[in-house]
Amino acid sequence: MLNILPRIRIPLRCYSAVLTARNENFAKVKQSDIMAFENFLGKDGVQKDDISNHTTDWTGQFKGHGSLVLYPKSTDEVSAILAYCSKNKLAVVPQGGNTGLVGGSIPVHDEIILSMNKISQQFAFDDTMGILKCDAGFILEELDNKLAKHGYMMPFDLGAKGSCQIGGNIATCAGGIRLIRYGSLHAHLLGVTVVLPDEQGSVLHLGSDIRKDNTSLHTPHLFLGSEGQLGVITSVTMTAVPRPKSVQSAMLGVQSFEKCCEVLKLAKSRLCEVLSSFEFLDDAIMECLKTNLGLHPVLNSPTPFSILVETSGSNEDHDMEKMSAFLDELLSKKLIVDGVLAGSSADAAKMWKLRESAPLAVTRDGYVYKHDVSLPLNSYYELTNVMKERCGDLAKRVVTYGHLGDGNTHLNITSSKQNENLEKLYVSILIPILLLIFRMYPFLYEWVVAHGGSISAEHGIGQLKLPYSNLGKESEERLLTKKLKNIFDPNGILNPYKMI
Amino acid sequence: MEDYKYLFKVVLVGNAGVGKTCLVRKFTQGIFPPGQSATIGVDFMIKTVKVGNDKIKLQIWDTAGQERFRSITQSYYRSAHAIVLVYDVSCQPSFDCLPEWLGEIESYANRRVLKILVGNKVDKGDEREVPERIGRDFSDVNHFDYFLETSALDATNVDQLFEQVATRLTNDMKITDERVHQYRADATNTSSSSGGPIKLIDRAQTQLNSCCSRQ
Repeated sequence: MLNILPRIRIPLRCYSAVLTARNENFAKVKQSDIMAFENFLGKDGVQKDDISNHTTDWTGQFKGHGSLVLYPKSTDEVSAILAYCSKNKLAVVPQGGNTGLVGGSIPVHDEIILSMNKISQQFAFDDTMGILKCDAGFILEELDNKLAKHGYMMPFDLGAKGSCQIGGNIATCAGGIRLIRYGSLHAHLLGVTVVLPDEQGSVLHLGSDIRKDNTSLHTPHLFLGSEGQLGVITSVTMTAVPRPKSVQSAMLGVQSFEKCCEVLKLAKSRLCEVLSSFEFLDDAIMECLKTNLGLHPVLNSPTPFSILVETSGSNEDHDMEKMSAFLDELLSKKLIVDGVLAGSSADAAKMWKLRESAPLAVTRDGYVYKHDVSLPLNSYYELTNVMKERCGDLAKRVVTYGHLGDGNTHLNITSSKQNENLEKLYVSILIPILLLIFRMYPFLYEWVVAHGGSISAEHGIGQLKLPYSNLGKESEERLLTKKLKNIFDPNGILNPYKMI
Repeated sequence: MEDYKYLFKVVLVGNAGVGKTCLVRKFTQGIFPPGQSATIGVDFMIKTVKVGNDKIKLQIWDTAGQERFRSITQSYYRSAHAIVLVYDVSCQPSFDCLPEWLGEIESYANRRVLKILVGNKVDKGDEREVPERIGRDFSDVNHFDYFLETSALDATNVDQLFEQVATRLTNDMKITDERVHQYRADATNTSSSSGGPIKLIDRAQTQLNSCCSRQ
């Protein structure tokens, strides 16, 4: 019986994929195609068996039916593959570390998977200008460790840093916990090498390897967040930032959401140049962390909201002085009721563990409906309250955590997975799940757009949000993106059934 | 700006479970939290007290004791005006660790920091393992500025502890202030190079001279 549920669940959660029929204009992979690929890439560049880790995402919610994974080792090999696929109308899905949350790198039907895993040879770093140029297949953490030797770091940090690749980060315009300090990747991208899915497999070197270049349309930025629709990124040039010498973390207990916003305002003015994170957790996620993972809050007195503030600077004494003046002001103005500073890196790790374990904690409830939306702050937590009321008893928990400093909420709604017998299955599980789903969608996304928000703050559209991708975007813009796609990908073979 | 005359940072240290958090909570909020779990990090609290006619703000940093030594960033010690070292009178091992804590304070804190020794949990009566005389002797031998025994449970000496901290720091500060005023007055009278930009080259020369003269 336990095996039945995932099979039922998948169509429920990815009905966009199920509703999208295979485009019969695309050819099916034949033996002659495989031989051609083996010819360009060698036998070890083509994998036909044991590819489930490429056809499924890490959360298990997306599953495609692709039968072939290709591992090019260079831009030229990518070019040969895309030229061949374009000529032969073979659909292709580019894939990096496969850590996405919207199914953007998973085949929907039988697309060929173009894995970037082996494109990780070229690495160059200019430690005076702080400019990094490297192949797209490098893992984020690996790059960060390399930069550490030069006193630099990557300007963004994600939970998936141990697996995600820089090419994928650029293709999805990854966000993460340092955005409040260093800005989005748009502030850091200088250039890309891309291969277009046209019949020549055109290789383009866009942007440049220098910090300032205002000579053309800013074409590299078209590929930032393009989700593999326009071309395949094989090399990235971007800026890195100096690695801070002092990092301070503090957990704050706050009684109301309005006060959380006041705390944010004060953090921006008092911690100003050293503020590097401003993360938000409500009491529902704290309870979930305690029950599901045994992680206890660090504050002694429970409060409806907790805020994790981090500063990164160059002088510990100065940063501590700023932090203590900030905390003092918060307490004096009664904006917080409790505050704990990390006294050591072990303490800081405990605080961050709470925030970073939140996505895992919710999965232990059974079924989880994850959301990634951004809203003006006056509607940020109202969404949680609205959804709590709307889902009522159908939901086990409605929890919220997220990057408050960026207006980005990760509202998660969970429901229980009960081990009932088979006859009860439909009544006890399937029907409540269906009811819950119909309660949530499209209501939630419509509500977000009606309140001036975005239905995808940082995770992207992929397969998951395709049915809602017109929400909040004018039809002219949708049309423009289709026209652009057509210029780059005339045969529409690259990452079909998604985003555009 | 708030109206207070002085702001002082007070850091509490000592082994885990000696009742540092309870002392601070009792003082700042008047509550004794039951079933206190181990503190993580540094709990931060403020309280304004009166010394004479002056309002004095205390920033109280309550450190986690569980990792004992070197768990606290050195700058907590460096920036402290007063350090309150706490042990539990009903727990001999917490008293036996005092020399190690003292070593930590001497390594990192400002030399003129106010040092206060506190034996907590005097409410435990029969379970006492460290007599008051032993605590007082330790305090004298190691040049603590003040010693007292407290109970966060029944509030014995809790207010007195922080009042002492505030009073002693305020008095010290007033003496320093007077000296500064005197110095400024002297400086104005002799009308030396007050005001104007500091020339780095002059300063370097002065430092060089003073280095040479020391040889």
